[in-house]
Amino acid sequence: MATTTTVHPAAATYRSGLYEWLTTTDHKKIGIMYVVNSFIFFFIGGVLALFVRAELAQPGLQYLTDEHFYNQIFTMHATVMIFLFIIPMLAGFGNYVVPLQIGAPDMAFPRINAMSLWMLPLGGIILLSGFVLGGTAAAGWTSYPPLSSDRPLASTGPGQDLWIMALILIGTSSILGSINFLVTIFKMRAPGMTLFRMPILVWTVLVTSVLVLMATPVITSALIMLFIDRNLGGHFFDPATGGNAVLYQNVFWFYSHPAVYVMVLPAMGMISEILPVFSRKPLFGYKAFVFATAGIGALGFSVWAHHMFTTGAVFLPFFSLMTFLIAVPTGVKMFNWIFTLVRGQLTFSTPLLFALGFLSMFLIGGINGAFSASVPVDYALHDTYWVVAHLHYVLFGGSAFGVFAGVYFWFPKMTGRMLDETLGKIQFVLMFIGFNLTFFPMHVLGLQGMPRRIADYASAAGWNDLNLAATIGGFLIAASMIPFLWNVLVSLRGGTPAGDDPWEGNTLEWATSSPPPPYNFDRLPEIRSERPVFDMRHGHGAGGHK
Amino acid sequence: MSSSPRNTRPSDLILLVILVVTMVALTVAFFAGGYWDGMFPPDAVTTQGDEIRSLYDIVFWIAVAIFIVVEGLIVYSVIRYRRKPGQDDLPVQTHGHNLLEIAWTVVPTLIVAYLFVISFQTLSSIDAVARTPDVKIRAVAEQFRWQFDYLADDGVTTLFTEEVATADLGGGMHVPVGVNVQLELTTPDVIHAFYVPRFLFKRDVVPGMTNVFDFTIDPAEAGQTFSGQCAELCGTGHRVMLLDVVAMRQTEYEAWKAAKIEQANATPAPTASAGPVGVTLTVGALNIAFDQLSLEVPADQAFAIDFTNSDPPGVLHDIDIRAADGTVLQDQPTIDGGESTTYTFGALPAGAYTFICSVHPIPAMTGTLTVR
Repeated sequence: MATTTTVHPAAATYRSGLYEWLTTTDHKKIGIMYVVNSFIFFFIGGVLALFVRAELAQPGLQYLTDEHFYNQIFTMHATVMIFLFIIPMLAGFGNYVVPLQIGAPDMAFPRINAMSLWMLPLGGIILLSGFVLGGTAAAGWTSYPPLSSDRPLASTGPGQDLWIMALILIGTSSILGSINFLVTIFKMRAPGMTLFRMPILVWTVLVTSVLVLMATPVITSALIMLFIDRNLGGHFFDPATGGNAVLYQNVFWFYSHPAVYVMVLPAMGMISEILPVFSRKPLFGYKAFVFATAGIGALGFSVWAHHMFTTGAVFLPFFSLMTFLIAVPTGVKMFNWIFTLVRGQLTFSTPLLFALGFLSMFLIGGINGAFSASVPVDYALHDTYWVVAHLHYVLFGGSAFGVFAGVYFWFPKMTGRMLDETLGKIQFVLMFIGFNLTFFPMHVLGLQGMPRRIADYASAAGWNDLNLAATIGGFLIAASMIPFLWNVLVSLRGGTPAGDDPWEGNTLEWATSSPPPPYNFDRLPEIRSERPVFDMRHGHGAGGHK
Repeated sequence: MSSSPRNTRPSDLILLVILVVTMVALTVAFFAGGYWDGMFPPDAVTTQGDEIRSLYDIVFWIAVAIFIVVEGLIVYSVIRYRRKPGQDDLPVQTHGHNLLEIAWTVVPTLIVAYLFVISFQTLSSIDAVARTPDVKIRAVAEQFRWQFDYLADDGVTTLFTEEVATADLGGGMHVPVGVNVQLELTTPDVIHAFYVPRFLFKRDVVPGMTNVFDFTIDPAEAGQTFSGQCAELCGTGHRVMLLDVVAMRQTEYEAWKAAKIEQANATPAPTASAGPVGVTLTVGALNIAFDQLSLEVPADQAFAIDFTNSDPPGVLHDIDIRAADGTVLQDQPTIDGGESTTYTFGALPAGAYTFICSVHPIPAMTGTLTVR
């Protein structure tokens, strides 16, 4: 009899643990592997950033004395952080949480889901293999031609081609993922889960998926044209033979600006789940928030050329106006978040701390971005460290803080164990201080004229102290990862058991066990609002409406 | 967490104190260290830069006001609405407020509309290009150097070329103050950007395209030198693409220009005669720098330099010899990164000369050659 049991439903339990993880199509396991994979690349990208900060700590070339190697380092830092950390990390949370939050048993296409995941480490290995194959790409993460297309003038070795191949692979993974999300969200919602009862995170993943689906094929075309120029004698971007160097920038940013919203909208969604729980109030202005998200998605396609104001090849008034306007829906969200806190009862658990970090830092990233919407001011700021400050306030102060909020919030659901609060708060304090010490001085450096992407600067330029401060801050951020890793390792084994609903959550994932069973739910609560688990706990309409 | 909040734990309190004290200390250090002034661009030296600065100041103060209001609201809410022991009942479940939503849609729209209008007004003014500028210069950006062609009144013919871009090497883009200067930007290779921080301005130099902008340096700035550099990643030597703008009084500029034209039209110095090679020196180049900046050879005798370019392929170097006044005496062909060669130089009379990489006329690639 023992032999016959191996072929029945419980067959999965007979596989070894590792084999099960490698072959799974369960969205929860895939989501967790997305998150773990993204964290591995986060640490690689972080180490690359430390190289850059170490070199810039003082004037003179100390560590990365080969400047071509320095160019590889910052190119890989940005490429890894954008394409292999933030975007897949948020996709990972979407993967884990979205089916649970809409009461679905899995994603619509579980096997495609697994394929999307496994393309990512493959892309990462191809990208970074340049380090052992004679040099990675070195033309910046934007890889503008002719620098990136005309090999003798830029980089040696196959690095740029590896970069192109890796990005096409990762982009394909994104496209497949976005289709999967869209079909899942439109076709697999539980009975009663109408569109306007969907949690905000689901809405942000929905809008993000539309952006990915519409924009990613466009950058793929740019990458293929670049590949043809480099390897097959093409002249798309070579002005000497009738091509146009600025064409690449238009096509590249047509994806890469919406990609900024891909990198931040799901993090906004995560914050919008966390703030109400720890404030014990619903999200203020749910519908306004949904419309603002859709508005950002739509406007996001009309602002790409604000990265190109100084090219002299852009219709400035249009892109300036649209860039200013996109601040409005973002502002609407900010006020909705704040008014979710107002008259609430705030409990300062680690997820809320990181969410508040998001609010206060993303605010700065929004405000200093508006400077560049003003074309004349952008003439002064473009391609200086001001821009480096701005983008890190958005992507680190915003998205990365959001990611950690999400990790602390959903770790109990994923593993059945709580993360330690004290270690979490130590991490938050170190990271918050380190972040501001690193990136705030960059505003001043940029205004005083320090360009991006330089390995060295003159001592007489007066940038020494602030660069040193930024470097100290960078290492402080790195130090904040120690309590985090320690926390994860310790809590996985010995963390407090979480129970189904440790935070008094609002959404459906808290109505099932931690971790949830295969196919997620044994039974679902009645869904009569965007907070079905709140309704189940307190009764629909509890606490009074206003 | 669940039914009733715990009292604040001591460890939380310590962390809170560390966070607040550190952030306050950093803020105080920022102000006390004089960095607040750094939140404004340096004083502009052109009329166009002055306009950008006025606009920046408006944008900046609006930004500060928004920051204080919104960040203040966050901090206030966090302090005011923390859950207190005994708060077991749910707070009022506010779902939204239409009037507030309209308010925080309309007010920001008005603010950004205002910013757009004033930005656009400034833009029309600073991007204006004169049909007949007083001075017209063509800046040619190449990996990894700038050169400046001074153009005749027809705006096309080159009167002379300033090949050295920085003032410490006796070059720089010399311009008169108080008149309208037009700069035309071209490049034969990759994208660069002309950036002078004290102009509060940059403009890309795009292959296949000619960008043009005008500027007028304030008369009070005569005698000043303003440094700038390439602001668009252009390859390994991006960092060394430095340049200087030298502001001169009109009369001084005219004299400088006349001397330059005369120099350009003068017959080139006779090439030194080659003879049997006396000494052979060794010079290397790495990271766009010579490994030595001072050489010595005997007078009136040909000599040779074994030259190794250790930069990556694509980064060209050579060694030219120039007289003290910058005239090129002996010109050698460039070699690619990773290659080496032996340059043979003709005999020179005793004196002080400059040896320089003509591709990178920067301090790190400019040395003295003493002939005695």
